[in-house]
Amino acid sequence: MSILISFDIDGTLEIGDPPGAVTLEMVKTARAKGILTGSCSDRPMSAQRAIWKKYGIEYDFVCYKHLLPDLKKQFDAESYYHVGDRDDLDRKYAMRAGFGFFWPDEAAKNPLLL
Amino acid sequence: MTTRYAPPSMYRSREGVGVWEHRGKVAAVGVGHSPTERRWDERPETSVGAWSIMALRNAIADAGITPDQVDGLVIVPETTTGAFWPEDKALPQDVIEAFVQTNDPLDGIAKLSVDWLLKNMPELTNINYSLYAPVCMSNALNVAAQVVGDGLAHTVLVLKAWHNLQGRYYQGGQNAQDAIGGTSAMRSLWGAPACYGTALQFAEYCHKYNKNHDMMTPFIINSRRNGLMFPEGYWAQHRPEELTDEDYQLARWIAKPANLFDNDIPIMCAASYLFTTAERAKDMKQKPVYILNHADSDAVPRGLTPTLDEVEAECALTGRKIYEGAGITAADLSFENMYDGFTQFHQFHIEGLGYRGIGFGDALDFYQTDISIEGSNPVSPSGGNIGSGRSRFWMHTDSIQQLQGRAGGRQITGVDAEIGVSGGPMPLGGNYTVWSATPD
Repeated sequence: MSILISFDIDGTLEIGDPPGAVTLEMVKTARAKGILTGSCSDRPMSAQRAIWKKYGIEYDFVCYKHLLPDLKKQFDAESYYHVGDRDDLDRKYAMRAGFGFFWPDEAAKNPLLL
Repeated sequence: MTTRYAPPSMYRSREGVGVWEHRGKVAAVGVGHSPTERRWDERPETSVGAWSIMALRNAIADAGITPDQVDGLVIVPETTTGAFWPEDKALPQDVIEAFVQTNDPLDGIAKLSVDWLLKNMPELTNINYSLYAPVCMSNALNVAAQVVGDGLAHTVLVLKAWHNLQGRYYQGGQNAQDAIGGTSAMRSLWGAPACYGTALQFAEYCHKYNKNHDMMTPFIINSRRNGLMFPEGYWAQHRPEELTDEDYQLARWIAKPANLFDNDIPIMCAASYLFTTAERAKDMKQKPVYILNHADSDAVPRGLTPTLDEVEAECALTGRKIYEGAGITAADLSFENMYDGFTQFHQFHIEGLGYRGIGFGDALDFYQTDISIEGSNPVSPSGGNIGSGRSRFWMHTDSIQQLQGRAGGRQITGVDAEIGVSGGPMPLGGNYTVWSATPD
């Protein structure tokens, strides 16, 4: 079963500002399980690419939160999830795009990342 | 010592009043900054009060004088426009007790008074004149220039500081309520974001002149580039990220046609400048930067949001006042550092100035040419709020540093730095300063 998980950065990943509950090891673990991963953040897309490169983590995509519907069209997966810390941005855009949604602390306990 | 707000008589708000009577007789010498942060970590040493003290001391040291030589203070007591202390949040008692207190527990935490500063800067032993200026450093600079020119004080520290609590603006206060009472209801229809009015003006602008939002891209990229060469700024210190065409043009709308990167990022920071007489400046450590004029826009719109016609008329009037009082023309400007936070203010300001001969409707085409610091038509060499975060003072620091020849990587090279102008914020409602490397 193919799965795609998009991660917000600030307030979600441990390297965000503020730091969030999802560690980079969790992202690596998800990738090791064959899950498609990348970031959907308000940070510039060029900066998102630079972050993954800086930490040596491969990624399948970067995008902006409001472009989650476009992301869904680009990847043929059976399940799509977005992890974020903001109700008015992350959760709202995820719901509109038909993604499942996890808060960072929920995601950090989810078997998909462990 | 009682400190009051500067009276209207200190501002040069009218056209036709001639060259400023103190033209070239007041100078900026010292510059002092605090670090920047995205939000407050609630430690005493990073409070807005602590960083204000740091900025003031840095300005004194930069000018190469001793604190007892300072006899005046002009400060902005407001330290936010959108991050107010929540009513249900406990006061940070340990922070309050780390400083000498006034009778307001939020003094030095979410606001600032002259009384608090003097209690916590015992080295300022000779302050005998002080004034408050509302909201912006731009306003405080006008006041300080007039204070020194009028002889009310001879060596004045000017200060503006910003606190930020959670890193998000405009989430509390009325915006968090189910209903808005009183006349505010008329100004806050539909809960529109702060950039909404400017976005409306920009939409009208694009329609009138057949322009589009993508044409802002070179200005955005140039501003961030310049900001990344501003070591005092937020992006240079914390997230040295350049912007690309794709980054800007695909960003989400905040109020279409203003997107995320047309808005500035709220931060914590403080800056101070030391103003003195041209005579005293000669003996100080840094090269004096002489003030040729200050000008004020106090226009009141006819409706809730100024129309494009009102914006253009006021920016043109402001330009005329700036030049008249300084005794210069647009051709004398080496550079401009007009306000940019929202980015869509900037084209209105520089068109009003007639910078490099442009008129209304020309700025976005002008942005498609070489507007870099290396060219002969530098636009916003400071990078402004877009380049360094929401402070409304990078433009002034940069103007002083450009004319002192110590702007570092941002130093303009395509034209000699001789005269510059900075100021803002709003097209209707702002304050402007004309700076010069020489007094005449």
